[in-house]
Amino acid sequence: MSNLIKREIESPNERQNRHKAMEAIKVLNDLREGFKVPPQSMEYFYNLFEEVYCHQKALHKGKVKVGTMCIQIPSEIIYALDGVPIRLCNGFYTDDEIGSDFLPQKACPLVKASVGHLASQNITDKPDMIYSPTTCDQKTKAGSTIEGFGYDVVDVNFPRTKESEISREFFRRSIREFSADLSSKMGKKLSKKNLKAAISKIGYAQSLYHRLSEFRKSSAVPILGNDMFLVTNAFFFDKIDNWIGACEKLVSELEQRVKDEVHVAGKVSPRIVYTGSPPIFPNYKIPLIIEESDAIIVADETCSSNRMFNDRVAVDEWFVNDMVDSLADKYLKACTCPVFTKNDDRIRRIIELVRSYSADGVIYQAFAGCTVYELEQRSVLEAMEKAGISILYIESDYSPSQHGQLSTRVEAFVESLKIKNRKRS
Amino acid sequence: MNYFVGIDIGSTAIKITVIDENRTLMGQRISGSGSMFYKYAHQTLNDLLNDLNITKDEIVYTVATGYGRKLFKEADESISEITANAIGAVAAAKEYGEIKTIINIGGQDSKAISLDDQGNVVNFAMNDRCAAGTGKFLDACAMNLEIGVEELGERHFKATGTPLSINSTCAVFAESEIIGLLGNSHSVEDIVSGVHYSIAKRVIKLVKRVGVKEGIYFDGGPALNMGLVNAIENELGKKIFIPEHPQVTTSYGAAILGAESYAYQQQMKT
Repeated sequence: MSNLIKREIESPNERQNRHKAMEAIKVLNDLREGFKVPPQSMEYFYNLFEEVYCHQKALHKGKVKVGTMCIQIPSEIIYALDGVPIRLCNGFYTDDEIGSDFLPQKACPLVKASVGHLASQNITDKPDMIYSPTTCDQKTKAGSTIEGFGYDVVDVNFPRTKESEISREFFRRSIREFSADLSSKMGKKLSKKNLKAAISKIGYAQSLYHRLSEFRKSSAVPILGNDMFLVTNAFFFDKIDNWIGACEKLVSELEQRVKDEVHVAGKVSPRIVYTGSPPIFPNYKIPLIIEESDAIIVADETCSSNRMFNDRVAVDEWFVNDMVDSLADKYLKACTCPVFTKNDDRIRRIIELVRSYSADGVIYQAFAGCTVYELEQRSVLEAMEKAGISILYIESDYSPSQHGQLSTRVEAFVESLKIKNRKRS
Repeated sequence: MNYFVGIDIGSTAIKITVIDENRTLMGQRISGSGSMFYKYAHQTLNDLLNDLNITKDEIVYTVATGYGRKLFKEADESISEITANAIGAVAAAKEYGEIKTIINIGGQDSKAISLDDQGNVVNFAMNDRCAAGTGKFLDACAMNLEIGVEELGERHFKATGTPLSINSTCAVFAESEIIGLLGNSHSVEDIVSGVHYSIAKRVIKLVKRVGVKEGIYFDGGPALNMGLVNAIENELGKKIFIPEHPQVTTSYGAAILGAESYAYQQQMKT
């Protein structure tokens, strides 16, 4: 009898889509249901992620999609040339497992997931070309692996010493080359008008992020850190005008919430600055554990969020060449990625965030295999100790296991902060 | 007429199979293990023999298997459930074709067994530590969802949303995850399919440890649950074969081994 029921078997793509949908809906449900009332304007973002990752909705049909492997490719230039930048940094465990067939088992899960995602060819907004900045070793090497899957991959030279004038000139030349390459592929020229418009638009997007961040300084924090990660992650792939519209609504809602003293965390929830390897949807494992442990993330120092929006482009003269150079400077000088030889800027920024957001402690996550963040852990921990700032260092990956052990560690840290606060008062 | 009995005493149920000299299936019976499984095993066997009109003298060889096999002292022989499962599966699937991989989900464990061309066990893997991903886990889930365990399969196919995955590796924590999902009024169907996929993913890991070879056979009580079967097939991307009576394959294997042992002993005498 049992064999009489007709059972259809999923295709490999259907299986991958289901796996990813299951990962996505889990996090979205946690955000929608696991906490005190989220802002109503967050619904736009929850729905966006659900549509894209549970229902494979394509957002940019008919547009040229320009994939970027890291944060250092100026999206202003892509928008100016009428392309859509899509950041390919990936947070799915499903794709991480696929990527393990192409990269060493111990490689960074983010790079493995990005490679796995492209390897599967099962992509809704498939990039027409990919620019790969030579940042960390693994991303640098991933470029040629991805090229092997049949994508048009162009390396963008990125220097590893930030302070020197040589580096500055070097990266300016890289970005000039990048814009020439993209310009010829798009059959469109950069003009004073289109580039200035793109810089202004991204600048406006940045200003919205800044306003959202400012609200988190208040004693009643109107939005979860996890929700903010979702907002900034959406910037990776969303239609920019929709994103701006949704953020404008969020800004006005949060403004009202601050006035009404709506606090999304508990009365004594410690305030946390998150730093380290970037949480990319749906890998919100550690941020979720933090906020489920009765703490609140008030700010972050990551390339998927704060670092993407922090610094504005400073243009001297509004000529095309000057604008391109200013963009290169912004994407190099303001970057606090641990790939750089010296990275005191990052430490300064973390301390500054702790002070200005009245944070009680820092949580630093490094993905197992994300060598640069693992390496920099030591200097950051020392600096925090010197500054009298409590910090917890956690190493983790994309697998759904270990939740129990990790949450015990985070809870203990959060409790220690609570006790410190109590004694202080 | 000579008859042979295979008796499989598992953590949840006692399964008994009787075959004749031609290895034809005469009858089978399943009863709960309960608290006194030695007593229940005897009772079940007696009931079965009464139904089949077979006297105890006609039973010439009995083989016990399963985790309670050592407690059934009257048996002429006892073998591990892995060997018995392999023999039973190969025999049960004779008309279907060659069996190379067996997935067995029992009351409190799950196994993957890899066979060679002759049907010999070449490798096997078992779940370690706990009951997540076993029949008990399904029982607990059904109880939390306030539905019968036999309804799970049907509910699985009625799911319309994304299956809601259960991430806890522990059956006890998984229960609290389910309660949390119910509290947020998610549909029972989406939770059921999520539960099935969680078990399926776990089982697939076991299968991969022994190697996935075509000719996949799935037995044990949970194989009656077509939703779980569907989840395992989707995770594997391959069709699997379910025998007509998935609960009793192992006792069937034990009975066959009994017939073989008896024939061998007779041969030695002459």
